[in-house]
Amino acid sequence: MPRTTSDVTTPTLTLTPPPRGAAVALDAVGKTFGLARGRSVTALQGVDLQVADGEFVAIVGPSGCGKSTVLRMVAGLEAPTEGTVAVEGRAPGDLARSHRLGVAFQEHALLPWSNVWDNVALPYRLAGRPVDRARVDALVELVGLQGFEKARPRQLSGGMRQRAAIARALVLHPDVLLLDEPFGALDAVTRRRMNRELARIWAEERITTVLVTHDVEEALFLADRVVVMTGRPGTVRHVHEVAFARPRGAELTRSPEFHEAVDLLTGLLDAESTPA
Amino acid sequence: MTSPTRARRTVLAVLGVVLLLAAAQVVGRTGVAGPSWPPMTDVVAYLLDETRRATVLRAAGATVASAAWGLLAGVLAACATAGVGLLLPPLRPGLDRLAALLHAVPVIALAPLLITTVGRESTPAVVAGLGAGFVVFVAVSSGLGLGGGTSTHDDVFTTFGASRVRRLVRLQLPRAVPTLLDGLTLAAPAAVLGATIGEWFGAPRGLGVLVVSAMQNFQVDLLWAAAACATVLSLLAYGVTTVAQRAAVRRVS
Repeated sequence: MPRTTSDVTTPTLTLTPPPRGAAVALDAVGKTFGLARGRSVTALQGVDLQVADGEFVAIVGPSGCGKSTVLRMVAGLEAPTEGTVAVEGRAPGDLARSHRLGVAFQEHALLPWSNVWDNVALPYRLAGRPVDRARVDALVELVGLQGFEKARPRQLSGGMRQRAAIARALVLHPDVLLLDEPFGALDAVTRRRMNRELARIWAEERITTVLVTHDVEEALFLADRVVVMTGRPGTVRHVHEVAFARPRGAELTRSPEFHEAVDLLTGLLDAESTPA
Repeated sequence: MTSPTRARRTVLAVLGVVLLLAAAQVVGRTGVAGPSWPPMTDVVAYLLDETRRATVLRAAGATVASAAWGLLAGVLAACATAGVGLLLPPLRPGLDRLAALLHAVPVIALAPLLITTVGRESTPAVVAGLGAGFVVFVAVSSGLGLGGGTSTHDDVFTTFGASRVRRLVRLQLPRAVPTLLDGLTLAAPAAVLGATIGEWFGAPRGLGVLVVSAMQNFQVDLLWAAAACATVLSLLAYGVTTVAQRAAVRRVS
């Protein structure tokens, strides 16, 4: 990669400006984790990925392919050992520090001592801003939790907890939304319903979104582009443009085009996981 | 939990205590354990006498006061020490070792030092505080997550750009409350027993003083009455703090 020799301050800053409109840019990113006794494991190698402003990108791959590591690097929770990660042209942590990032994890991670309303309002309090009560009310309604504002997380079902976590991620109008298998722990029926609701919510907010999942159907249903990753070390195997028109409904998942795309991507994943 | 099983557990617990007391009564009555094991009824009869009861209760009041001051001082010192560890991470391993070392020194070895520094009157409270403080320090440190390791909650706070103060107030402190109270349920009885032992080293009043004096004068009934009183106080301290701990767990989980 050609590098300009201008003022280098920290290795996470991009040296070349990202392409216009790229909200998230990973450039030749590698990640090596140190293990005991001087050994190490390479989780990611040479990952290039660009997410345009307002685009929904899904990353699919088998367990251990490093897809969650990609997301954690974009969130600023991990630093790459090679290459650069830039969010809006700056270090990923900057976006979090300026309270313009929304993240929902596989574990809902709601505060157990707070009720739904206060959990959704939490980002305002962490940003030191006055709570916009109307916005919190609107998001609670958007994710279908009206009437449960005073309920504590342990009184809710798994699906309701995840919806509250997604409302919390959206409440500050983030520039970038990161979803790390948010429905991974749910049963198949609840999961499909949550996907339809997420598609509806996303259609209203249109935020630059990166979704990590191992579910090909979920990725194709929600995303504009699906990135197929394969493992050890994790690399981008294929990028699939999803042409289905929005809004997408349940009938899309029954169409032959959808099944064809599912078969194609599943085939790519299966081919890689067969031992050579 | 359904009420029949709770009632059953209560009955079993009461039955256990009754059986234990009955066995102690039989041992005392038959005299198989020698003259220093009286029948339980003799101990109760001893306490039924008004002046003797007043003596034991006065001593218990002194012990409770020492234990309470010790517990308070121990909790404050433990929280302050854990707070230093929170603010200055490089000091954490050193503070852990210092607390473990203080806890490892036998009270009997500290006694001469305490008598010359804080005096005979305050030694019971200090001994109570040392025992209680160590338990609370361990509980608070682990509750605040000073041992390292992060949860998804920590990741959530990082990605929302929470400052250290807001993370402390909105995540670390509420998360530490059940563990702190867990520590208190162990620290409160430890403070009562610590105060009683601390009173052996020449304190003017207290259950420990009664125990020493009863031993030296072979007042077996008084000895047992004082010991029973210390045990009941210890159990009460445990019971009260357990109720608080359960309430806190219900609140934060």
